[in-house]
Amino acid sequence: MAEDLNWAIGGEAGDGIDSTGKIFAQALSRAGRHVYTSKDFASRIRGGYTAYKIRTSVDDIQSVVDRLDVLVALTQRTIDENLDELHEGSAIIYDGERSWEAEIPDEMTAVDVPLKSLAEDAGGAIMRNVVALGAACAIANFDVEYLDEALEKRFGGKGSKIVENNKKAARLGEEYVEENYDLDHLGYDLETTDNDYVLLNGNEAIGMGALAAGCRFYAGYPITPATTIMEYLTGRIEEYGGHVVQAEDELSAINMALGGARAGARSMTATSGAGIDLMTETFGLVATSETPMVICDVQRSGPSTGMPTKQEQGDLNMALYGGHGEVPRFVVAPTSITECFWKTIEAFNLAEKYQTPVFLVSDLAMSVTEQTFPPEAFDMDAVEIDRGKLVDDDTIDEWLDEQGRFRAHAVTDDGVSPRAIPGTTDGAHMSTGLEHDELGRRTEAQDERVRQVDKRYRKVETAQEREDWEYREFGNPDADDLVISWGSNEGALVEALGYLEEEGTDIRVISVPYIFPRPDLTDEVEAADDVIVVECNATGQFADLIEHDTLTRVKRINKYTGVRFKADELAEEITDQLAAEVPAK
Amino acid sequence: MSSDVRFTDFKSDKQPTWCPGCGDFGTMNGMMKALAETGNDPDNTFVVAGIGCSGKIGTYMHSYALHGVHGRALPVGTGVKMARPDIEVMVAGGDGDGYSIGAGHFVHAVRRNVDMSYIVMDNRIYGLTKGQASPTSRSDFETSTTPEGPKQPPVNPLALALASGASFIAQSFASDALRHQEIVQQAIEHDGFGFVNVFSPCVTFNDVDTYDYFRDNLVDLEEAGHDPSDYEAAKEVILDSDKEYQGVMYQDENSVPYHEQHGVTEDMSEIPDGAPEDAMDLVREFY
Ligand SMILES: Cc1ncc(C[n+]2csc(CCOP(=O)(O)OP(=O)(O)O)c2C)c(N)n1
Ligand code: SF4
Repeated sequence: MAEDLNWAIGGEAGDGIDSTGKIFAQALSRAGRHVYTSKDFASRIRGGYTAYKIRTSVDDIQSVVDRLDVLVALTQRTIDENLDELHEGSAIIYDGERSWEAEIPDEMTAVDVPLKSLAEDAGGAIMRNVVALGAACAIANFDVEYLDEALEKRFGGKGSKIVENNKKAARLGEEYVEENYDLDHLGYDLETTDNDYVLLNGNEAIGMGALAAGCRFYAGYPITPATTIMEYLTGRIEEYGGHVVQAEDELSAINMALGGARAGARSMTATSGAGIDLMTETFGLVATSETPMVICDVQRSGPSTGMPTKQEQGDLNMALYGGHGEVPRFVVAPTSITECFWKTIEAFNLAEKYQTPVFLVSDLAMSVTEQTFPPEAFDMDAVEIDRGKLVDDDTIDEWLDEQGRFRAHAVTDDGVSPRAIPGTTDGAHMSTGLEHDELGRRTEAQDERVRQVDKRYRKVETAQEREDWEYREFGNPDADDLVISWGSNEGALVEALGYLEEEGTDIRVISVPYIFPRPDLTDEVEAADDVIVVECNATGQFADLIEHDTLTRVKRINKYTGVRFKADELAEEITDQLAAEVPAK
Repeated sequence: MSSDVRFTDFKSDKQPTWCPGCGDFGTMNGMMKALAETGNDPDNTFVVAGIGCSGKIGTYMHSYALHGVHGRALPVGTGVKMARPDIEVMVAGGDGDGYSIGAGHFVHAVRRNVDMSYIVMDNRIYGLTKGQASPTSRSDFETSTTPEGPKQPPVNPLALALASGASFIAQSFASDALRHQEIVQQAIEHDGFGFVNVFSPCVTFNDVDTYDYFRDNLVDLEEAGHDPSDYEAAKEVILDSDKEYQGVMYQDENSVPYHEQHGVTEDMSEIPDGAPEDAMDLVREFY
């Protein structure tokens, strides 16, 4: 109990829930504690319940659990929504002076703090959330000083007076609780360490990866949950000579990125749901014109506008098969926040090495979750850039035909052609979505068509051989039962291992970051007694792929409630599935 | 960039498949001449084309080029120019391509004022799909899909541009070779989005908006003494639906192109071999 603390603040959207939560998360991170955050939010801006949840431990944590220890409730709904997760030892901070009368179950500890009045004492009612943070520190036995740095970070831009007032507000909250309550029996005592951590979410990691990878042009159109990638890049990409354009729609965004890429810049767009549908029109053009670019899909619940603020992994088939005709592509799906960084870099390298569109498929849970990492997890010295067969004035000659024309779509053994960007002498050439010959000129000649289609697919074959389509492995490699997952489920699964171990259940976990091409898991599947595929969708799109690849029936755990997997819940589901009858192989 | 570039350097070795007599021949010649005349060469020029008979222009010209999907040429051109302010960008397409499926992009490209030229071959018909009504077709113009005419007023692309905050609006006629070339040249030289609507007759599917019709009805604004810097005068000619005009209708002398407003000046194709030198700062931001 002393190690883990599950804390949350909840209220109406517009109450500053997010920034307050973030301040506390940063303070915990500064204290050398691991932090894993999650958010409950509705698709509206004002009104509507919203919560920011933090799980913190000195141990590494990678998922959420079904428990809340300290809750700052700005509304009754915050309490009601979380009743399942509250327990006897839970403390609930609320403002009894406000007009609502908190209904708090008897067995829990009600901590009535005059948030608003204390905030006013500190300089303004607006700081009531910070008073609540101070109160939370008192309950958790966590030194309020750790909040200071986070408050400076948050309010530094508004002047030292504001920062000082906020620090005072936190202390007033802490003092009030210490003076009026004796909560030692709750037993919360947050240990601190000297570890240095950074705290970031998956979209920030993608944005940071893009900058590290040399992405200099980004065009996008706002859509939840992809927008924060654009927000991250805006204001930062300029430092590296780049630029972000907010396009008029997704059709425009992907076409702008295509233009940037053809002009030689590492270019990217990101979207979700309906936006991916719109981009599909241009997807085939990107592939056929052999333009290297990264298209990021941060999945949310579909179809149509579905549940825009809820988790799902339902776009796998779209990424694999979307677009008319047959389109060679790569589909890469990071499995954690650090992988969001590394796989983004890899996506840019793959795009340029093979001159194809690369789908970078993330999901809502990863995009909004903030997690702590040692800074070395994002070691910039390890970043490698591979721009592929880019020719220049000196190397272009070998790719010119007898008439001195550049063979932009030269048919090569590995399927990869030379690439000349504008300004390269003698490199002028046409790129088109029409079928074309080596020079990029339209053709409908049967043999030429076949040569070009084969050439484009040969890139995938080459990549399949040359690249390392590895997977990540956890648990006991010799266990009889195998659980396979993709995307953000990895964290919950890794933690579920602990719960399963306690019950004496041993499993091997394989987490796959590559959807196409992907590692061949036939041997692994055949060696296992039971195989379970875990994913956040209703139909088991990844399970279908595994069955297709291995000609073996697998068990499935599918969640499509809009909420991500929790570690304890997943452990239970795995136990149930292992007990269930094995589907016919 | 060499100074001895001839306009034929911008010609590809593909023979156009346009119908003999199509206005697009003249339109393209003027574009190539204007590019050569303004000191560009194929290796520093990027031509983006739409879809339609008009969009085939990219195939018949020689430069860095992209022939994209229907209606989306302007965003591609925008992307090219953002990444490479050093490259001359020209976007070309038809009236269906630009004012129907691409109308949204048109409005936004205009208001962004990216420094590129946009040449629309307006034949007031869909040519490539064999003669359906286009957004600029007359309301009583009978086509395969509008047997009694569209019964809607045509789009006025010049007015649309003006309303969207255009900094350069012009119109030319494919067959008035010299004037057409001059006008395209001015669009290229304009600091910002240089928009030219070109009357480019479709000899196969449009027997109303013909060469003869334009020859008989065209009023040259230069000869008429029009002052393109006079916004009110521009508004008047642009909204005058009784006459057909050629020439520069409006040019904002204070136009500041997108890249200057936003400080986009670098060649974005150059990136370091590994992560940028101070990249660890990006990580430290998250402390
Ligand atoms: C998404 C999409 N819809 C429809 C088409 C079919 N299409 C090809 S060209 C064209 C119209 C072209 O008209 P316009 O832009 O006026 O050019 P023109 O052929 O007259 O020069 C259409 C509808 C297409 N290629 N793509
Ligand atoms: S159909 Fe019309 S627009 Fe197309 S090439 Fe023939 S004349 Fe030109």
